[in-house]
Amino acid sequence: MVLESLGGRITGALRKMTNSTVIDEEALKEMLKEIAHALLEADVNIKSVVELRKNVTNRVNLEELAAGVNKRKLIQKAVFDELCSMLDPGTKPVQMKRGKPNVVMFVGLQGNGKTTSCVKYAYYHQRKGWKACLVCADTFRAGAFDQLKQSATKAKVPFYGSYTETDPVKIAADGVDRFRNEGYDLIIVDTSGRHKQEDSLFAEMEQMAQAVDPNDIIFVMDSAIGQAAHDQAQAFKSKVKVGSVIITKLDGHAKGGGALSAVSATESPITFIGTGEHIDEFEPFNTQNFVGRLLGMGDVSGLVNT
Amino acid sequence: VLNYFKGLAGMRNLTKADLQPVMENFKDVLIAKNVAQNIAEKLIESVLNSLEGKKMESMTSVTTTVRSALDEALTRILTSRQSTDIVAEIAAKQGTGRPYVITYCGVNGVGKSTSLAKTCYYLLNHGYKVMIAACDTFRAGAVEQLRTHVRCLGEGVELFDRGYGKDAAAVANDAIRKAKELGYDVVLVDTAGRMQDNEPLMRALAKLVEVNRPDRVLFVGEALVGNDAVDQLSKFNQALADHQNAAAPRLIDGIVLTKFDTIDDKVGAAVSMVYATGQPIVFVGVGQTYMDLRKINTRSLVKALLK
Ligand SMILES: Nc1nc2c(ncn2[C@@H]2O[C@H](COP(=O)(O)OP(=O)(O)OP(=O)(O)O)[C@@H](O)[C@H]2O)c(=O)[nH]1
Ligand SMILES: Nc1nc2c(ncn2[C@@H]2O[C@H](COP(=O)(O)OP(=O)(O)OP(=O)(O)O)[C@@H](O)[C@H]2O)c(=O)[nH]1
Ligand SMILES: [Mg+2]
Ligand SMILES: [Mg+2]
Repeated sequence: MVLESLGGRITGALRKMTNSTVIDEEALKEMLKEIAHALLEADVNIKSVVELRKNVTNRVNLEELAAGVNKRKLIQKAVFDELCSMLDPGTKPVQMKRGKPNVVMFVGLQGNGKTTSCVKYAYYHQRKGWKACLVCADTFRAGAFDQLKQSATKAKVPFYGSYTETDPVKIAADGVDRFRNEGYDLIIVDTSGRHKQEDSLFAEMEQMAQAVDPNDIIFVMDSAIGQAAHDQAQAFKSKVKVGSVIITKLDGHAKGGGALSAVSATESPITFIGTGEHIDEFEPFNTQNFVGRLLGMGDVSGLVNT
Repeated sequence: VLNYFKGLAGMRNLTKADLQPVMENFKDVLIAKNVAQNIAEKLIESVLNSLEGKKMESMTSVTTTVRSALDEALTRILTSRQSTDIVAEIAAKQGTGRPYVITYCGVNGVGKSTSLAKTCYYLLNHGYKVMIAACDTFRAGAVEQLRTHVRCLGEGVELFDRGYGKDAAAVANDAIRKAKELGYDVVLVDTAGRMQDNEPLMRALAKLVEVNRPDRVLFVGEALVGNDAVDQLSKFNQALADHQNAAAPRLIDGIVLTKFDTIDDKVGAAVSMVYATGQPIVFVGVGQTYMDLRKINTRSLVKALLK
């Protein structure tokens, strides 16, 4: 996975410091500069990067350190704690109950992979024994219903939508009602792409959330997104109860630092990642594994609090 | 305070030590505005080199000096030396018996098909007859998406499609032949989104371009993209260069910058993209309706970058 390369660079910077002889203000500064560089190149929000630098510097007050304290270890720990807290939303993923109608609504920016991920999510859960189905509440994008219909048919997942109804709130409500009555336990609602600059689109999203009362709202984000990630993610979170994040297109070259920003902005865990256009190119995201990979190199593994 | 002003009041040459801290600040500003990290660095370095040893004007601060040098550099980068006047090029091709062909390419979901539909609207308004070639034969709903646009766009436009699973290069070829027969002025070729590292798909794109030799190969990139912008553009261009056999392969010769309405003042992707290829931004997408297509405004872009 591409996010790994971020871990590699950071571990490299730390190892370099380990090898340099004296650890003084200068060495610390140099190392933090290198880490900041790696994070920025990976599209992590610049404010978070500045924050991380400041926090680490504050925590590692070199002059006050008593003799005999292992300075290197202390610095490493400070860096890793900061990184972990960036990845840790402080909340658990929403739990769904089998045998009850769980409604999950997908939201996000235009073209970020909602429709594709909806179908992957349905397919993934269907294979795990869920009775999954899809509602196409995107009446805006040209060909949206055809797209969902064709993908759902391929995945053998039942779907609901309309070519004539123009109100997405009505479609969402009708579709969810119908599938609830038919005893489905995972009802997935696909919505149009939207962005914070257009109020009417956000108002529509709020109405839809009100109408279908979802158990979880999943924010879908493209891994190639740059510095705008944080503000957009935060805006979605401020309007609806985002509970999870899916990062898409990680089969590309982007390092996915926007993902870290989305976690901090939505205060929600990343639950899945998309790794291709095909229906099975979809994996659960495991924060522990990711942090573990980030930490599990060389002599830094002892730093994890468990 | 006096000393401070004396330091700024000119009469001496700018040193690296004067410039460095100010430059670092501007670098952070550019990165925060979403200019790719390594491009922000290169830009800052070149401006620093150009200023080092220069006499500073009296009564200006280092910051002001640096700002105006950066303004100049950014303006130069963003000001295109090549023509971006598609309409003039189409007019010039009239009477040759061959339609003017534009191909849209880029990674997944950036707005290729939507930008194509917007261009179509723009060209219809100029009185041209347009054929749209549905050469994304892979993504679910891609053909129906274009068919819907053609229905909405009305008179003067027709869809050419062969459904799904077909060779995109061949579909484009058939579309161009048919457009020629029927006297269409322009053919707009939609292609499937693809990741720049996906070699089979990049080869297929190069083949489409080689076989059909479009008049314009437009790369579509979204203003939201971060550091990946540079990689996308250079690899698309490289793949076109590597996988065409012709002596003079057709490369990317224009950029469509989409979703410009979603980024507030974080307009840096424009710089990354132009810097990466030296190709001009031909259109900017500023929304989801047919009217939301603009020419780039370099002045306001540079202003937003340095604010
Ligand atoms: N390579 C790759 N492509 C993906 C992935 N997820 C989605 N895509 C592609 O990204 C493009 C956009 O995906 P959609 O699912 O249509 O995105 P959307 O968010 O529903 O778009 P709108 O409804 O227009 O807002 C399509 O070409 C998808 O095939 C992924 O994980 N990897
Ligand atoms: N806000 C905004 N949305 C845009 C703009 N251009 C395109 N979009 C939206 O982005 C989404 C994806 O657009 P498409 O044209 O389908 O993208 P594509 O590159 O053809 O996607 P694939 O063919 O799946 O790779 C749609 O929801 C469009 O409405 C723009 O300038 N501004
Ligand atoms: Mg969609
Ligand atoms: Mg398309």
